Amino acid sequence: MNTSLTTDQVRHVAKLSRLALTDAEIEQAKEDLSTIFDHISRLNDVETEGVDPLDHPTELQNRNRDDSVGDALSQQQVLANAPAIKDVFFDVPKVLGGDA
Amino acid sequence: MSTIKDNDQYNAFREVWDTTNENSNGRLQGMTVAVKDNIVTKSGTTTCGSKMLDGYKSPFNATVIERLQDAGATLVGKTNCDEFAMGSSTEHCAWGPVLNPWDVTRVPGGSSGGSAAAVAARLCQVALGSDTGGSIRQPAALCGIVGYKPTYGLVSRYGLVAFASSLDQIGTFSITVEDSATIIETIAGFDELDSTCREDSAPDLTKHLHHAIDGLRIGIPSQYMGNKNNADVNASVAAAIETYKELGATIVEIELPLTDVGISTYYVLAPAECSSNLARYDGIRYGHRTDKPCKDLFELYSESRTEGFGSEVKRRIMLGTYVLSSGYYDAYYNNALKTRRLICREYEAAFKQCDVILGPTTPAPAFKLGEKADPLSMYMCDVYTANTNIAGICGISIPCGFSEVDCKSLPIGLHLQGSWYEDAKLLRVAQMFQDATDFHTKTPECVT
Repeated sequence: MNTSLTTDQVRHVAKLSRLALTDAEIEQAKEDLSTIFDHISRLNDVETEGVDPLDHPTELQNRNRDDSVGDALSQQQVLANAPAIKDVFFDVPKVLGGDA
Repeated sequence: MSTIKDNDQYNAFREVWDTTNENSNGRLQGMTVAVKDNIVTKSGTTTCGSKMLDGYKSPFNATVIERLQDAGATLVGKTNCDEFAMGSSTEHCAWGPVLNPWDVTRVPGGSSGGSAAAVAARLCQVALGSDTGGSIRQPAALCGIVGYKPTYGLVSRYGLVAFASSLDQIGTFSITVEDSATIIETIAGFDELDSTCREDSAPDLTKHLHHAIDGLRIGIPSQYMGNKNNADVNASVAAAIETYKELGATIVEIELPLTDVGISTYYVLAPAECSSNLARYDGIRYGHRTDKPCKDLFELYSESRTEGFGSEVKRRIMLGTYVLSSGYYDAYYNNALKTRRLICREYEAAFKQCDVILGPTTPAPAFKLGEKADPLSMYMCDVYTANTNIAGICGISIPCGFSEVDCKSLPIGLHLQGSWYEDAKLLRVAQMFQDATDFHTKTPECVT
């Protein structure tokens, strides 16, 4: 597998990551990520045919708790760390009209 | 607590608190405990070493904090760490690097470097850290103290700011094995607020701690003792093996061939989970928000995240986003998950032959600040510790020697790994070593 990333690939992954990088940062990231992927490509040498993926060491299945009312944070506590609020709401720029 | 502030020449602490615990009847009464800055506390702030969370005040305590306070411990403050626990040197901290008390021109390891330096400099008795790929054991080794990562699921992660949820584990730093055993025994046990917490009650880790294990079998993987290690590290570990032999242990040669792909597996799984976990930092509900005028939400997210995160965190978010993206998921992420199962099987087979696995915690002692500038060389610090987290087993680093460099003594760590939930046995094996040696009693020159 070719482990070198192209500038366009890095730009795309930065966009997916919601990071706004400068051209110089994109080039640096391209170099760093390519070096890291070159190392990670060792995984291709592992014989994994027929092996089930393991996404969690405990292999616990869904664990449900009783659906009972417990203590909750107050509205004031929830909003206390917000960078911008209006009345009892989080304040955000307009949602419609952009390319998001 | 002014003495902590006065004596912290290492930037170990982000915040020092002048607090006392009214609960004077608990078993931890009088014990001073520092808390890594990625474990949430109602007292003070929790910043994860990041500008993203500068000034963040948690409305709740982590479960481990509640349990420590109930037991009478005195919490003395928050310790600096690599940003969001991503790093092996604590240089990637928004509040400046932490220095190693044994040699202030060198790193303390990371990511829990502040906790390690605080205990090594005797600023507090115990410190909490978190270990995702070695972030407790590696700094413990580099700072000449005990660092213990319990089996995954033993200690609640509720209130530990998530980095890679299937790998993260809260653990301890201390001078003695006994202090770590006591703390974990106190904070372990089921917590309904963490769905990955084991449902059993807390294990008894201290009752038989001082009873040596008869017929102890210690496994030495050939992959751990190669010439990639610093010569002093190999010599100290070899001497530790002799110590265990004198204590009656049988040495078993074992093979862990997947040691070599541990870092590759880790640097797919951990960034993948990181990219998902850190998506929550959007500049809306909490955390840094850009002052720049933004035309829409997308730009607000991107600008806030770009300003708030440091370079290593950005790198790992992109790495993780890439391996999870369409077209690469199978080649990288799924393949790493399959390798993860093989790594578990390898450990299962090994623990049929031996009680614990022994080796060096790190290939070399503490390195100089700024020495490992390229990311990959930093990642390789965790070559012997990452697989412990990938499998979810328990591990501990204990001091086993020193390397004399430039008239400074640099500590060397002995790494012991135990099978799933065999923490009590692991700690007993570590205690046997501390009973027979005095490495853990040595202090940096700064300690008088």
